[in-house]
Amino acid sequence: MAGGAAGAAGAAGAAGAGGAGGLSDGELVERFSHVTVDRDTAAFYRGWLHHELLLNYCDDCGHWAHPPRPMCPACWSTKVTARPVSGRGTVHLLMLLHQGPAAPDVDYLAGPYPVVTVELDEQVGLRFTSTVTGCPAAEIAIGMPVELHWIDRHGAPFPVFRPIPEPGVTPS
Amino acid sequence: MSTKGTRYPIKDQVAIVGIGSTGFSRRGDRSSQAMALDASVAAIRDAGLTRDDIDGIVATGEPGAVGAHQLASGLGIAELTHHSKPAPVVMFSILDAMHAVFSGLCENVLVCSSMLRLPWSSQSAANDPFRRHLRSGVTAMPETVANAPAYAAWAGRYLHEHGVSREAFARVAVNCRTNAFDNPLAAMRSPMTFGDYHAARMIREPLCMLDMDLPVDGADAFVLTTAERARTLAHPPVLIHVATSGLVGPNDEDQLGSLAQHGQHVVVKSLKARSDIWLDDVDVYLPYDGFTIITVGWIENTGWCPPGEAGRFLAEHWVGDGDAGRVLINGRIPMNPHGGSLSEGGTRGTGHVREAVVQLRGDAGVRQVPGARTALITSGGFFFNSQGAILRRA
Ligand SMILES: [Zn+2]
Repeated sequence: MAGGAAGAAGAAGAAGAGGAGGLSDGELVERFSHVTVDRDTAAFYRGWLHHELLLNYCDDCGHWAHPPRPMCPACWSTKVTARPVSGRGTVHLLMLLHQGPAAPDVDYLAGPYPVVTVELDEQVGLRFTSTVTGCPAAEIAIGMPVELHWIDRHGAPFPVFRPIPEPGVTPS
Repeated sequence: MSTKGTRYPIKDQVAIVGIGSTGFSRRGDRSSQAMALDASVAAIRDAGLTRDDIDGIVATGEPGAVGAHQLASGLGIAELTHHSKPAPVVMFSILDAMHAVFSGLCENVLVCSSMLRLPWSSQSAANDPFRRHLRSGVTAMPETVANAPAYAAWAGRYLHEHGVSREAFARVAVNCRTNAFDNPLAAMRSPMTFGDYHAARMIREPLCMLDMDLPVDGADAFVLTTAERARTLAHPPVLIHVATSGLVGPNDEDQLGSLAQHGQHVVVKSLKARSDIWLDDVDVYLPYDGFTIITVGWIENTGWCPPGEAGRFLAEHWVGDGDAGRVLINGRIPMNPHGGSLSEGGTRGTGHVREAVVQLRGDAGVRQVPGARTALITSGGFFFNSQGAILRRA
């Protein structure tokens, strides 16, 4: 396992994951200073920079788990790697925030802000929480099919969802 | 997990013999330490003990709350053989204290929990310069269901799965407010109607202002000792028949399996496996109500009614006119007669335990359930703090 020599090994791993010119661990933490980036979540956030939603997948038993943990909770394997998911799924939980934490692109006065937990197609019970864009809040419903989409937040990509366009309709 | 027939030697062996409370307020200007000391002194005196008798202190780890070691210093206690700071919600502290007594590590354990309105919980708290040090450095983002927002997210799921209205939530809220009128310790004693509930501002839809407990200042304290010693003290002994916590995995708020399998279900299974008493013998019911959906969950998961039917159940057991009123199960069993966290104040469950003791002693005045001998407390929510206890008068 990498990880013995913290700084250098981590940075090398980062370059591997991110391709040439990838951020060092220190730069990654600075870039995502609005969230908590640690050893267990670094690969997850690094994926955002490349518009990839990477969730932890067990190479031994094929179990997905989120949030990122270093060991597979199903089989205790440590061969867990952050892999891209399709980003498609259905709205499982939905709430509308009429007030809440500040964010640069969120205006509660303009109307309630939707927060959804999406059950991803990869595995029953595997879920990811974000918002839905490109759709009036009143039209979002539990059970609605959605797909991954990326917006900018604090100068970095941020994963959100949007409704899956119906067949024959040109996405905007 | 362990099931029926399992070893449970602690049953009825530890008693709650002292209670002390400052009462709760949305306008407090006392320090956490002042309130904790006040409640602790009251609880020790109520038990008829002195500080020399206290050999353990459990102080719940709320933000801004004093630790057990600070309480020991503040109370002038010379020596302790146990002290700890369990996570919030009352039963973790009660469990720790009763286990310390039963093991023989301590004779008399003080449990204290002090609540302080935090700068982000109210304008008056934000304006208080002495609370500035409690500001959190972490900037939360909107797109999360971690912590409190989880209950709004799962409340929406509840309404969706069962195709029901918010009626059950409304009845939980109105019941608490009606009951708080008779509790001098309560922060909110003005009446609430169903109209008030439905007109209240949405916060995290589908939950509104009146679905959430009240940020308050105040402290509760308890003294626990052996059942044997309790028989020699002033008050009728209130025995802990059984107490438990419960947890499932995964328990991350957005990864929870479903509304049909979470911490509350484990608690109920554990209580039933260890208790000689169940719903038919309950005289006072004290379900947690940090959010109304938590109470709805407890009502259904405890087995008072099937899943999705709490609204119907509460309507059937409702006493009062069309606009307000309260719950009296089978015309006999009140639910949170002290007003709960929704109207007495957000005590993280200490209010529920205190009310159980007051009722079982027969000291509840106008709130008193005649001849109350058994109280069922189901505290905490769905994720990391589901808990329960049955208390009985010896
Ligand atoms: Zn595995």
